[in-house]
Amino acid sequence: MKDTNCFKYLLGFSVVAAGTVGADDSLADGQITFVSQGGAYQEAQTIAILDPVAEALGITINQESAPDAWPMIRTQGTTGQAVWDVVDTPPLNCVRGGNQGLIEELDFSQIPNAESMPEEYKTPYSVAYEFYSSVLAYNPDAFDGNPPQSWEDFWNVEEFPGNRALRNHPLGTLEAALMADGVAREELYPLDVDRAFEKLEEIKPHITTWWTSGGQSAQLLYDGEVDMLMIWNGRVSAIINEGANAEFTYNDGVLQNTHLCIIEGAPNLETAVEFINAAIDPEYQANLPLHIDYGPGNPAAFDTGKIPDDRARELPSFPENAERQVLMSYEWWASSAGEEAERRWLDFMQR
Amino acid sequence: MIKLSLSRISFIGYVVVVLIFLILPLLIVVPMSFSDSRFLSFPPSSYSFRWYETFFNNPGWMSAAKTSLIVAFSTALIATPIGVAAAYAINNSTHRLMRYLKIVLLLPLIVPIIIVATGVFFIYALSGMLYTIPGLIMADVMLALPYVITAVTAGLHGFDQTQEMVARSLGMNRFRSFMSVTLPQIMPSVLTGAIFAFIQALDETMVALFISRGQNQPLTVRMFTALRDEIDPTIAAISTLLTAASFALVLLLVLARKQAPA
Amino acid sequence: MKATVVHDHFPPASNRDASLGYRRREHALMLLLMSPAVLVVFVLLLIPLGWLIGQSFYADGFTLEHYQRILTERIYWNTFWVTFRISFIVTLLALLMGYPIAYATSILPRRWSMLVLALVILPFWTSVLVRAYAWLILLQRSGVVNESLMGIGLIDAPLALVHNELGTIIATVHILLPFMVLPLYATMQKIPKDLIQAGASLGGSPLHVFTRVFFPLSLSGVLAGMTLVFVLCLGFYITPELVGGGRTVMASMLVSRNIQLYSDWGAASAVSVVLLICVLIIFYVVSRLVPLEKILGAK
Repeated sequence: MKDTNCFKYLLGFSVVAAGTVGADDSLADGQITFVSQGGAYQEAQTIAILDPVAEALGITINQESAPDAWPMIRTQGTTGQAVWDVVDTPPLNCVRGGNQGLIEELDFSQIPNAESMPEEYKTPYSVAYEFYSSVLAYNPDAFDGNPPQSWEDFWNVEEFPGNRALRNHPLGTLEAALMADGVAREELYPLDVDRAFEKLEEIKPHITTWWTSGGQSAQLLYDGEVDMLMIWNGRVSAIINEGANAEFTYNDGVLQNTHLCIIEGAPNLETAVEFINAAIDPEYQANLPLHIDYGPGNPAAFDTGKIPDDRARELPSFPENAERQVLMSYEWWASSAGEEAERRWLDFMQR
Repeated sequence: MIKLSLSRISFIGYVVVVLIFLILPLLIVVPMSFSDSRFLSFPPSSYSFRWYETFFNNPGWMSAAKTSLIVAFSTALIATPIGVAAAYAINNSTHRLMRYLKIVLLLPLIVPIIIVATGVFFIYALSGMLYTIPGLIMADVMLALPYVITAVTAGLHGFDQTQEMVARSLGMNRFRSFMSVTLPQIMPSVLTGAIFAFIQALDETMVALFISRGQNQPLTVRMFTALRDEIDPTIAAISTLLTAASFALVLLLVLARKQAPA
Repeated sequence: MKATVVHDHFPPASNRDASLGYRRREHALMLLLMSPAVLVVFVLLLIPLGWLIGQSFYADGFTLEHYQRILTERIYWNTFWVTFRISFIVTLLALLMGYPIAYATSILPRRWSMLVLALVILPFWTSVLVRAYAWLILLQRSGVVNESLMGIGLIDAPLALVHNELGTIIATVHILLPFMVLPLYATMQKIPKDLIQAGASLGGSPLHVFTRVFFPLSLSGVLAGMTLVFVLCLGFYITPELVGGGRTVMASMLVSRNIQLYSDWGAASAVSVVLLICVLIIFYVVSRLVPLEKILGAK
């Protein structure tokens, strides 16, 4: 009890102090609650970005994880009781959250590091943080030199028998289903939702697990629970580094990114904005690929000279890799058709 | 009587199998907590204290543990006197209302926990108690009350009320006679109730999942997310510590019972 | 009963009015002592319950649409069907596993029976979360169970034991088994030993004595245990969420998803109300046969 009172008092004080004196790092006893997606990815960015930023700004970063941040963004926004500050989540959540008044609009004058970033890497509510890809990964031992190389192969249960896993979420999964059904990568959007669910219905009996978090997907492949699955590329390379018998292909991958955004009414708004500006600083951004196979959200990171050439080649956003993948359209997912598709997912899982 | 017939042997065998079923999952967690890998392979390929270190060195885990302890202690401290008062009333009154009130007090055990969680979430969202430690404590007090009341009522049943009457007829007021005569004799059941309240608050997950977030989340909520998001063996380490702690508490309970005058 | 005795003796009933006044004061005091506990339950449980019931009939005015949806949409039907099916199987398994355990505890020498009881209670104090984790380790494709079964040659290919309904059932039985054993044990404890011996000395075979004497006397415990397990299972959330592989959706998960994913309080509260009514009916029916405290005592 004492703690929360004390905390509120401090908060009140720091807001007043920030208002009158202006943001003064040495005075403000800053802290924020930062939410990402857990596992190897969260560990990597802690070393690459969060720890150095915390030190540079003299703030405390309290970390949490939520593989699907949307429900929590919603409850915090609708109840008006925000406890999170900054969320690392697909831009879809930032944009529709912003449209529904659940996400703060960003004041880009406070975020100078975003200035040089391409317009398509920003929304009024968020700014790009990192690039990753939902790829097809497999256990090579299970396929004897002829592993699946596309979603078409993934759906082909005769030629490629084995346990399969997909994410328990429509994002990326519908894209994969349509590619499996022969839709060309450049013609995916707007998604033909009926067709996608029909195709998913086909593979459903062969899916052993519908994973919910990145950590779980990594465990499934590492422990041999499944032979092939859709997984985020950084997670699969992390377990390959830990000695797992696994490989993946960028072919047919769904290239995605996450953005940073701030919860409406965030308890530490000032510090949160400061944090976002620092987190997309090219210097820190360039650290991320050194710890996990994810590309920096700020392309200026490539100019720092920190990222070696051979490393850059392994990243999902590297041009040669990117052209074998499809870039996810968040405009479509944020549209009413996208929202409808998301609602249909639970229904699909249940039948 | 002690014929080792075939049916007897198979019966014993069956019981042993069921007991193994009960114990195996608890046993397997202990070696897993010393595993050097983050994955679920058993037996672990190499051993280390890695997950214990993670637990004790991570501020997130530590603050969750602190929250859990604060909540559990406060719950026991609040629920025990409230529960003792209610149990005393139930035992001493013949009022018609009591029958219904008794059922009301058992409701937290009857209503499915998800509904309790939803309801508490709603009331807290209205009153601004969401995601606060006092909110967490009050919810746990409610959930602990039936345990305290059941334990203390059982204790009062075995207690001869005329002793308290004698004390009162000697001029002590009701409260003092209760404190000096009744309470010491039902102490073991009060303690049982308090420990039940403590453990239930420590173990409560479902309601906390709805009403706690950020810095105020207890250990169980963090364990739930760790398990769902990362399958993090830290929870095996925590579990080993928690099981050891609960076991110590139960031992304490047994000892307290043994010392009580029969 | 004790209380009435006390009233008769104290205070000395010299004056009827004084005694009446005393009783009134006594009642008031007892209600006062009761009030903090009742207040907590009232504010945190009864008011929200009332609100939930209200919500289930509300969508811009009075409506039955949320209930209609439960009746007509397959997803709701499926969920309730899955929930009841799992609860039924779990209850049956818990009885089949729990009865022999309780029986063994009641006939074994004290030292052994205490050991068995301790083994039953130990998992009781271990977090549900940790046990879900343990079952993932044991039941996964390359897990302990599959490896040993393949090792002794019982199966050729690993079985799908977890991330599905089977895994949910196994893990749930494990969690609820003590709730079956404890009321059974309490009931069996009270069955007089000489009754069994009398049965045996009259020439009944052990099986005969068991089926004719012991088992009927233990029925109230069976009922209490089954009720407790069934009802607790109806409201299960954590275990199916963690070991159900994403497609074992039980009623409480539907409630949670409706609230957290869609902020659909109407649908969530209608599901809650149906679930609650099922539970209350079960408790009401059973409480006519076995007192409520006896059922909940073990919990």
